[in-house]
Amino acid sequence: MPQLIGVDVGGTFTDFLSFGPDGVRAWKRLSTPLSPEIAVLAGLDGVRPERLVHASTVATNALLERRGPRTVLITTEGFRDVLEIRRQTRSELYDLEPTRRPHVVARGDTIPVHERMDAAGLPVIELEEREIAGVVQQALAIGAETFALSLLFSFRNPAHERRLAAALRAAGLDVSVSHEVRPEYREYERASTTAVNAFLRPVVRRYLGNLAASHPGVRIMQSSGGLASSALTSERPVTMVLSGPAAGVLGAIAVSAAAGYNDIITFDMGGTSTDVALCTGGVPQYRSATDIDGLAVHTPVVDVVTVGAGGGSIASIDRGGALEVGPQSAGADPGPACYGRGGPATVTDANLALGRLGTAPKLAGTMALDVTQARAALGELGDPAEMASAIVEVVNANMARALRAVSLERGFDPAQFTLVAFGGAGPLHACELAEEVGIPCVLVPGLPGVLSALGMVTAPESVERSAGILMRLDAGDAAARLRAAAEDLRQRTIDELRSEAVPVERVLWAADARYAGQAHEIRVNLEQPEAEAIAAAFHEAHERSFGFSAPDRVVEIVALRARAVGPLPPSPLRPLDSPPRPPARGEAADSPVTVIERVDLGPGSVMKGPAVVTQDDATTWVPARWAGHVDAYGNLILEPSP
Amino acid sequence: MTSEPGRLAVWNAWLASVAEEMGITLGLTAHSPNIRERRDYSCGVFDAEGRMVAQAAHIPVHLGAMPEAVRAVQALAPWQPGDVAILNDPFLGGTHLPDVSLVAPVFFRGVLVGFVSNRAHHADIGGMSSGSMPVASELIQEGVVIPPLRLVNGGIFNNELFALILRNTRTPDERRGDFEAQLAALRTGEQRLTGLCERYGLAVVRDMMDTLLRYTERLTRAAIEDIPDGEARAEDVLEGPAGELFPIRARVRVSGSEVEVDFAGTSPEQEVSLNAVAAVTRSAVGYCIRCLLPRGAPANEGSAWPITILLPEGSLVHARSGRAVSAGNVETSQRITDVVLAALRQLLPRTIPAASAGTMSNLTFGGRGPGGAPFAYYETIPGGAGAGPSRDGLSGVQTHMTNTANTPVEAIESGFPVRIRRFELREGSGGRGVHRGGDGVVKEVEFIVDANFALIANRYITAPQGVDGGEDALHGQAAIVSQDGTERNLPPLSHGRMHAGATLRIETPGGGGWGPPPSPPMSGP
Repeated sequence: MPQLIGVDVGGTFTDFLSFGPDGVRAWKRLSTPLSPEIAVLAGLDGVRPERLVHASTVATNALLERRGPRTVLITTEGFRDVLEIRRQTRSELYDLEPTRRPHVVARGDTIPVHERMDAAGLPVIELEEREIAGVVQQALAIGAETFALSLLFSFRNPAHERRLAAALRAAGLDVSVSHEVRPEYREYERASTTAVNAFLRPVVRRYLGNLAASHPGVRIMQSSGGLASSALTSERPVTMVLSGPAAGVLGAIAVSAAAGYNDIITFDMGGTSTDVALCTGGVPQYRSATDIDGLAVHTPVVDVVTVGAGGGSIASIDRGGALEVGPQSAGADPGPACYGRGGPATVTDANLALGRLGTAPKLAGTMALDVTQARAALGELGDPAEMASAIVEVVNANMARALRAVSLERGFDPAQFTLVAFGGAGPLHACELAEEVGIPCVLVPGLPGVLSALGMVTAPESVERSAGILMRLDAGDAAARLRAAAEDLRQRTIDELRSEAVPVERVLWAADARYAGQAHEIRVNLEQPEAEAIAAAFHEAHERSFGFSAPDRVVEIVALRARAVGPLPPSPLRPLDSPPRPPARGEAADSPVTVIERVDLGPGSVMKGPAVVTQDDATTWVPARWAGHVDAYGNLILEPSP
Repeated sequence: MTSEPGRLAVWNAWLASVAEEMGITLGLTAHSPNIRERRDYSCGVFDAEGRMVAQAAHIPVHLGAMPEAVRAVQALAPWQPGDVAILNDPFLGGTHLPDVSLVAPVFFRGVLVGFVSNRAHHADIGGMSSGSMPVASELIQEGVVIPPLRLVNGGIFNNELFALILRNTRTPDERRGDFEAQLAALRTGEQRLTGLCERYGLAVVRDMMDTLLRYTERLTRAAIEDIPDGEARAEDVLEGPAGELFPIRARVRVSGSEVEVDFAGTSPEQEVSLNAVAAVTRSAVGYCIRCLLPRGAPANEGSAWPITILLPEGSLVHARSGRAVSAGNVETSQRITDVVLAALRQLLPRTIPAASAGTMSNLTFGGRGPGGAPFAYYETIPGGAGAGPSRDGLSGVQTHMTNTANTPVEAIESGFPVRIRRFELREGSGGRGVHRGGDGVVKEVEFIVDANFALIANRYITAPQGVDGGEDALHGQAAIVSQDGTERNLPPLSHGRMHAGATLRIETPGGGGWGPPPSPPMSGP
């Protein structure tokens, strides 16, 4: 087997996972946030694997911290404040002093352009050559490092944007152009996505440039779950902003598919937040619209629902006597009370007090956790044992809401799925959650801590492009326009993937559609990009999601999406060849709870709850009435006992 | 479940999510941009006595008004499974005619659990002008009035009633789609609520509904106790179509954990649509108190229990049956909020920000498109938020009683024969101060065909006030600019005809400033 390495740059650690002739190996380096490539290169230590795949939170953090270059918006005259006004709403209904995070473009840092297209894509105000010259001159005078260009109705007719972009680029300016980044309707969302792309370009280009200089073939994980070259990613860094959660979902798919589970819900519970995603047939759900920190960022992303609660979430009692858990987190310092640094009562303290972390639990295998401190902090809220149970119930109720959101609310029956639990706290809560939501089976991967890196090395190469169409399917020229758009998309995605020296395995189609007159579209997967297929898929999706459809009503397409996909890399996962083991035996004879070390388990091991399975990067809680076994790949499979 | 604190948290989340999921269904399936893009709708869950136990509100003006709808339909009892009631009568459970409420009883194994309800603002409900937000002198001119009636009777849809309602609107196809979305949302709510009963049993659900009401009451009382006891009065004005100034007066008395708000001295009701029904006034007062509660507090009726509201009958804040009310919901509610907050500001110094824009700037227009198809459009235009003790006010944002999103320019122009020429911030319209008030906006709408319009706004004569030495904001203004460039200014409430090629320009007020502005540098000799 050739060597594959996945590298995941996180805020604290940079994780490496290698599959090769010498088996599977995982290691870590401290991250170097100012120049993340330093830790990556140091960790690779001169090794040149056949395949190097990389994901990082560099773009995400730059965006969240607004740490990046001055970014200037160039837009149609009359709309210079599109990024200030946004959708004119406030995020909190009952806030005496409402606030909004600033956009990446400062108010007024805008160049208006005298031009205008109408809804049919016809120019109402022509873009004159001297206007182009004037805009270029202003842009040069401003001297910003990066520009975003987004004109009204450019998704319908990009002619004005094209001419202006060509002139700006000819003048040596770095410009992100809306019809290239996101050629779809809704001017704020398109401008916002384009501005975020512009803002990230210099940051990502520098960093990936340094990385690619030593590893020219490095592949970069995208928010869509696909891979792309460092050159393409540097062009369109907005497509990698949510690559972290996507990689975790792909890793969960790789593990569960190898073990024979294709319909899964992933449950990744960390210290401060929890990510949940639903996958059918080994494929995640996608969406094309998302908000990050109050900014619209509309690119294809794996549909992950995030809840602001994790192991570090702080518990408190409000003035009406209700328990609150999160969204505040104790973080790493002071951390939960059980760290012994004066921290507050958290979910981790509750689990510790309930005995769900084993007999002598340690943080990351080293630092001992202090159960006395945990009980003391819980005691400040009420009876410690009662509070510990209540905290777990409240946090489980919040998680259950997220699980229902990705399943029931989208027309999927949880009883048909397996819950794949990972992250430091996921396996602690998985069984009770599965019970609560009606999921019959839980899978805890053998190495839950490196699933993201595994997801990277098993991700296919892909390129997704979209075309904003906004057309009723009964329009006279609907078939012709669809055909033209599809052919253009097919050609562009195939060419782009081939330009990355990747063979094209298939082209997947999706459309955003709605009933003519509706204002919200649903994304549906298509066999073929044809009107009838779109209508049929849309009626069915509407029926499944909302319980009714109207087959006699005209369907309107908003956007067509093509994704060219390369071959799936072979899974590096192999059945373990260790011999079957006897049933696991716990050590704590005086407790009804069996405590088992994960390293003592092998294929064929069985256990009965209540039991705690401990390992360095995660702990699994097997409640009473549940039983488990270890499968051929070292996964822990848990089910209610009959 | 183990403990009371845990039960409160968990059930608060569960009941809230029943309402939220109804809202998701309604938003995702609605037809008109007004409902989907602008999210001008709310959903609520009620117990068997009709008390609201959870609400997903996108706009606060629905907060205190939804319980009235559920109370009003009780005249139709006894209920059977599969019933759905409909109403928009402002004097029988409604607020203004475009807001149409649907209410359905929810049964579990044949026993009434409670009710689910939703209310959505329809872009046209008939009456004397497109968009049903006219400058009217009596209710009957504002649209079709629907008293509480069964739209579905034991699962049998009342096609005759539905046909009558649709026939009285300008855009029946769009209305049909929006009503279907409202019905779908009720089904979602019914499924989620009966799902809770299946998992936990009817008795537990009923008990938790009651427990959550009392929990919210406790939170509200705790917040009121933080206000020093005392009494304060405030007064402001609403502007009429001919420049009349109608006073709104409030006396707020805080005593322990209770508040009394008395509107004695407020202007009598008028022959113009500025009259508010009592439910609107209760919503506005409830909003002001609700802003003092911690984030995440449940939205239920328990928060109203410690508040006593005294409303002079036949006044602008408690109109009598038959009065025109379309602007009471959207304009008078904003002024009531300004007045109550101004009184609270005296009791709670350094907490309540300066006045915000104080108007929703409602624009409706409609007519027939180039192909002859009817159209009706409604939107509200944002202003500036008042500056507060800790920061500048936001610019170009919906404030206080509304939070509806804009319809994208690329959506408006794809669906309506207009062109938006300009939609940007109105520089310098916020009041200066240590903290600046937010700026309002300028919006210019050019008409491609002849059309009717109505503009219901306010703060064209008086300005949103600054606080503690902060300067007032600029007041709003609007004008029709004809093709030859001549301009005609419009009063705060106006309606008329736009000719193809003419442009309507609307400039909204900013928010007031906070604290004395830094003095400009001394100029040299």
